[in-house]
Amino acid sequence: MRTRLSFVAGGIGALLALAATPVVAHHAFNAEFDANRPVKFRGTVTKMEWVNPHAWIHIAVKKPDGTMEDWMIEAGTPNTLFRRGLTKQSLQPGMEVIVDGYQSKDGALRANGRDLTLPNGQTLFLGSSGTGAPYETPPKKKG
Amino acid sequence: MRSRIRSVLIPVGSAAAVALLWLVVTATAGQAPTAARFPSYRAPRLAGHSDLNGVWQALVTANWNIQDHDAQPGVHPELMGAYGAGPAGQSVVEGGEIPYQPWALAKKKENFEKRMMVDVTDDKKWHDLGDPELKCYMPGVPRATYMPFPFQIVQGSGDYILIAYEFTTTTRVIRMNWKGEAPADSWMGWSRGRWDGDTLVVDVTDLREQTWFDRAGDFHSDALHVVERYTPISPYHLMYEATIEDPKVFTRPWKISFPLYRRMEDHIQLLEFKCVPFTEELLYGRLRRQPGQASQ
Amino acid sequence: MSRRFVSSVGTALVAAVVSFPALAGQARKAPAKTATWTVSHTPWGDPDLQGVWNDATSTPLSRPGGLSEKQLLTDEEAAEFQRELAYNLTRDRRDGGAQADVNRAYNEHWMDARRLTITKDHRTSLIVDPPDGRIPPLVPLSPERQQARSARADAAARFAAGLPDNHEDLSLPVRCIIRTDSPPYLPTIYNNDFQIFQSPGYVAIAPEMIHSARIIPVDGRPHIGSTLRQWLGDSRGHWDGNTLVVETSNFRTDQGVIFQDADPATFRITERFTRVDAQTIHYEFTVEDPHTWTRPWTAMIPWTRIDPAEQMYEYACHEDNYDIVHLLHGARIREKNGETVPKRIPER
Repeated sequence: MRTRLSFVAGGIGALLALAATPVVAHHAFNAEFDANRPVKFRGTVTKMEWVNPHAWIHIAVKKPDGTMEDWMIEAGTPNTLFRRGLTKQSLQPGMEVIVDGYQSKDGALRANGRDLTLPNGQTLFLGSSGTGAPYETPPKKKG
Repeated sequence: MRSRIRSVLIPVGSAAAVALLWLVVTATAGQAPTAARFPSYRAPRLAGHSDLNGVWQALVTANWNIQDHDAQPGVHPELMGAYGAGPAGQSVVEGGEIPYQPWALAKKKENFEKRMMVDVTDDKKWHDLGDPELKCYMPGVPRATYMPFPFQIVQGSGDYILIAYEFTTTTRVIRMNWKGEAPADSWMGWSRGRWDGDTLVVDVTDLREQTWFDRAGDFHSDALHVVERYTPISPYHLMYEATIEDPKVFTRPWKISFPLYRRMEDHIQLLEFKCVPFTEELLYGRLRRQPGQASQ
Repeated sequence: MSRRFVSSVGTALVAAVVSFPALAGQARKAPAKTATWTVSHTPWGDPDLQGVWNDATSTPLSRPGGLSEKQLLTDEEAAEFQRELAYNLTRDRRDGGAQADVNRAYNEHWMDARRLTITKDHRTSLIVDPPDGRIPPLVPLSPERQQARSARADAAARFAAGLPDNHEDLSLPVRCIIRTDSPPYLPTIYNNDFQIFQSPGYVAIAPEMIHSARIIPVDGRPHIGSTLRQWLGDSRGHWDGNTLVVETSNFRTDQGVIFQDADPATFRITERFTRVDAQTIHYEFTVEDPHTWTRPWTAMIPWTRIDPAEQMYEYACHEDNYDIVHLLHGARIREKNGETVPKRIPER
């Protein structure tokens, strides 16, 4: 089942044999981001790049010792957000975000934005939790 | 399409023969060919508007330099010889010169000097160097119009017109009579169209600031605003005009214009010019694993 | 998942609810009109397909195991099928350990919400022919193709380990050369959008990724010469009643470029676009290659109209493709740190 959620370049035949919805051979996230280096911090947006194939959120993070670090957070395609009504006005420099993700394996100050929230707890770019969306309820266990 | 042209040619007759003679006339510096050089023409109608469908191409050498330019040896002449050389051409800018603010001329010169330099190893400096055309980036507006490749206008009966460019299979959608704004900047801009009589007027905003006007390093800022006009002037020509406005870089708006020629070959179509693979060694070659480095 | 359906559904047949025209491999005739809807035409007389369309769905291409006879689900089964697929596909889940979490990458905001719903007709697969809803058995590869495929699998393994040798170890989508724009069109996780333009003698289909358009002549002209090769091939269309039929040839012969890595010399694809109501196009494709599959196969994916409320946006890709540098530069650093690619077990 896990392989259906992983995007392995070139293995298109194998993916389809698993009866999964076909996906574009994509990023190997496990290859680039380190499951053993989760990050969770709060930072101030310095720049938002609304670009493809991935949007990038540049944030300034204050470390425990008081020094500042510049991080780049990888997000998804902005086109999906545009169709939900968001624009470049929606995330501006100066806004605070909480990033929950995984750091790049090569040690760079880069992470994928597994989950992005605003300080008030609201999931970034509109909340979906608690709306009763179908995926929120696990399927019935069979008897 | 052929039958429509025939039906137009028959009544136009000798006037068409006269029009054909003007094909070889090029604009004098800074002067657009005026409508008076072409007999008055009304294009066939499609869904109530002039029909701009077709495969079109510019013949000016503006992609090398939109202002006056001598022939040049090009880059690496010791490798490229005459293959790489650039032709001479006369300015497509009305008045001849681009009205840069004084500081901008130094930036243009820097662009030109660095047009073949590439370094994408630092995300924050990704776009600092090199002509975007060199890197096979989408050329933006108006440069896409005068790249030395054909483009096709697909105009139907809906609220959208497609312009597809052969260079890097770029497309742009012109939204007709559209009120909505662009959500963010894009390489080919946000195009809103309307009809002004027989002319298609396209208002283009929200262009990525990284596009250039030509290989000479002519540039703009994120405040660029382009208004294009496509006017049929014969069965085989559109007159293209573009007014450029950017208060951060120029002292006033300025304008370019030149004819677009209908590609007349039998079964003409856009072919594929996907140039990304032509640039990968240039962009990423220095990141190859070197022999002797461990991998498997 | 498959065993659940077999045990809970029993043997009830669904033939009674079949009014869907494209099942069971019969020659497909597009319905000219239903009782309540007639296709409109452009001013020059072609059926009107213009608009922005979305093809996202969770219905799998191939029928899940154990359901080989079951083409359609009842309403209750369909609701459960959809719920289970959505649960498996949603990116908002945080369970399964850190590796799974990393691979889910983002959350649902970045995904196409329509991809969590099954097709309205409650089919168990997008494939409609063969009747078992599965890709037909594969034909054994020639030694040359086997070798080429093995080399690509090695490159994929290097990529998956974060250690690509160079940009050629990366797939065409990662290199931003082609993505969903190479036919046949299949649903994916986002940007499942297509814009159709028409003009006299042409139908142009512009997929969102990667900003290209297939401008398809429908005037009967021949294909380009056989030595001209393109990633997106060369398409020619004609109208069969209200169905646009598109044949595409002249695909490039680089290994691994063509759909499912079929043989470019013998691969054939036919696509059919039929507007069945104001909001829906049925997109159907048939592929065949005697050097790859034992028989032709066909899938149908419904497209839903989304404009003017939703639009297709520019998908520049190569222009801001920082990922390539991260992957390659990162690989050189990881090598220095002593990482190596795990040995690949070759596929049988």
